[in-house]
Amino acid sequence: MSLLGADFRRDFEIRRYPFILYVLIPLAALVLQSWLPRLLGPYTLFDLPLVITIYFALGRRSPIQGTLMGAAMGLFEDAMTQHAIGLSGVAMTVVGFLAASVGVRIDVENHAIRVMMNFVLSLLSSAIYIFVARYMLGLDFDWRWLAELLKAVDNALIALVFFPLLDKLQVRE
Amino acid sequence: MESFFVRYRNLVVLLVVLMAQIVGLAVQVRRTEGGRSTLDHRDSSGVRLIRYWAVALVSPPERLIHATGDGIYNLWFGYFDLRHVRQQNQQLQQTIDRLRLEQAELMEDAQQGKRLQQLLGFQEHYVYSTVAAQVYGSSGSDLSKVFFIDKGTANGLKRDMPVISPDGIVGKVREVYPHSAQVLAINDQNSGAGVILETTRIRGVLKGNAAGQLEIVGLMADERIKPGEKVLTAGGDMIFPRGLPVGTVQKVVPDPDRDSFIDVILKPAAHLNRLDEVLVITSTATQMPAQERKDVATSEKLKGAEAAAIAAKAQEQTKASEIMAEHLPSATDPSAYSGLPPQPANAAQNRVAGQGTAAGQANPAAPPVPKLLPTRHPDQFSPNQFSSPGEPAGTEAAPQGSGAPAGRKPTGAGRTR
Repeated sequence: MSLLGADFRRDFEIRRYPFILYVLIPLAALVLQSWLPRLLGPYTLFDLPLVITIYFALGRRSPIQGTLMGAAMGLFEDAMTQHAIGLSGVAMTVVGFLAASVGVRIDVENHAIRVMMNFVLSLLSSAIYIFVARYMLGLDFDWRWLAELLKAVDNALIALVFFPLLDKLQVRE
Repeated sequence: MESFFVRYRNLVVLLVVLMAQIVGLAVQVRRTEGGRSTLDHRDSSGVRLIRYWAVALVSPPERLIHATGDGIYNLWFGYFDLRHVRQQNQQLQQTIDRLRLEQAELMEDAQQGKRLQQLLGFQEHYVYSTVAAQVYGSSGSDLSKVFFIDKGTANGLKRDMPVISPDGIVGKVREVYPHSAQVLAINDQNSGAGVILETTRIRGVLKGNAAGQLEIVGLMADERIKPGEKVLTAGGDMIFPRGLPVGTVQKVVPDPDRDSFIDVILKPAAHLNRLDEVLVITSTATQMPAQERKDVATSEKLKGAEAAAIAAKAQEQTKASEIMAEHLPSATDPSAYSGLPPQPANAAQNRVAGQGTAAGQANPAAPPVPKLLPTRHPDQFSPNQFSSPGEPAGTEAAPQGSGAPAGRKPTGAGRTR
């Protein structure tokens, strides 16, 4: 009985969106991520596809969906660079899975938790990316931890602003 | 068994997706002869297909945003903000005229250099044709310095074509799609170009670092390398033509990995973070392009006209000085204008004038030597008031020991002349 109760509660808390938004919002994130550096130049230290992946994974609370969405967004991000396809894919797959898994257990409405989740998962994404590129594949690849830290902070701030806006798009029954 | 997959389906899906990507990564990486891992220079067909899909999906909306932004920008700056355009146009026209003259002068040196190069067996490559392209997007990652341009195979672009801006080199075409292309900027970690320092003629390899800076790596420590020195393409990489601006030396830092080696950090000549339009060099040739030849001929013609104008101006100035001299007859010896040699008044004047005469003999067209009026209250600095020891009496000799040194004589002569 208690299990049924938990499942019911979880199903009740799962956010649902119009199907078209599952396509449009990630696409908009990819387009903006590619276009904004032209305007902002060297100040483009954020990762909109990652933020969107975390948002949907936290909201949907399905590790499989989080995994698949993270993989798809990561592969698209890789395809826009000259790097090997799969570097961001691996990192964002793990992030999507973890965000969805954690989302089952915590209150995802809380802004402080959202900010913390974005900050930590962004750092984790950078760490996995660098680990795979540098140590698994052995590529000659340098990075700056400060830039990765700033990127994580920026992602957290973007999430603080955009998550409430995206919340308004969900289907309420 | 079924219950295992049902129970751990989340983890199973995660592992399957991760394994598929890791296998995909392993396929893309290969070992070099030096034992280092590197990505394949050319993508496999599968990887290329994924990139093509991604670009096909992201590019159209991105280009739409770019076109809308450009439209608003052009509307504002093309119609509403036209103040000072006429003045700017005149200034630009003057700049073009000046640059044409400078170009003609430089061309003489270049042609001479080319003749010498031919003697040495070198062959100059001119930028023969270019395609102008708009930058509309980027990779979106701070770890990847690539950007996208709105020209592709339909416009004749191919892989490894150099991309430049009017300020300097920008990068090379990495991947080409039908109507767009991906350009690898020179400040990316994976880029490379042969460069040469302009004055010290030290050659090196240009790369980007993690901070997106340009650096020449692996140079032997050399104290001649100073900040501010210009860096040009060396032409040895088979990508960039020789002599294009790359940047200027910003600072010299020790190589962190090797003693007695240095890395030279450069300030790029092109604005790599704010690129709007670029030129893709689609072909080079040993012959100068027709348009450039035409420009040079125009410059040469203008240069001739400029020289004639300068000569006419000089002639007018000469006439003016002659008229002025005629109106001031007391300041000069009238005989000077009759073509007769000047008449020295005394021995000292003879000696001074003798130099002028000698000069006059050496150069028949030398200007006449004017005769100075006597000084009312002479002192040791007045003309004709010095003499060497043993000078005959009658001259206004300077006091003994205070005579002007030998080095002063030309000054007096110069003044006389």
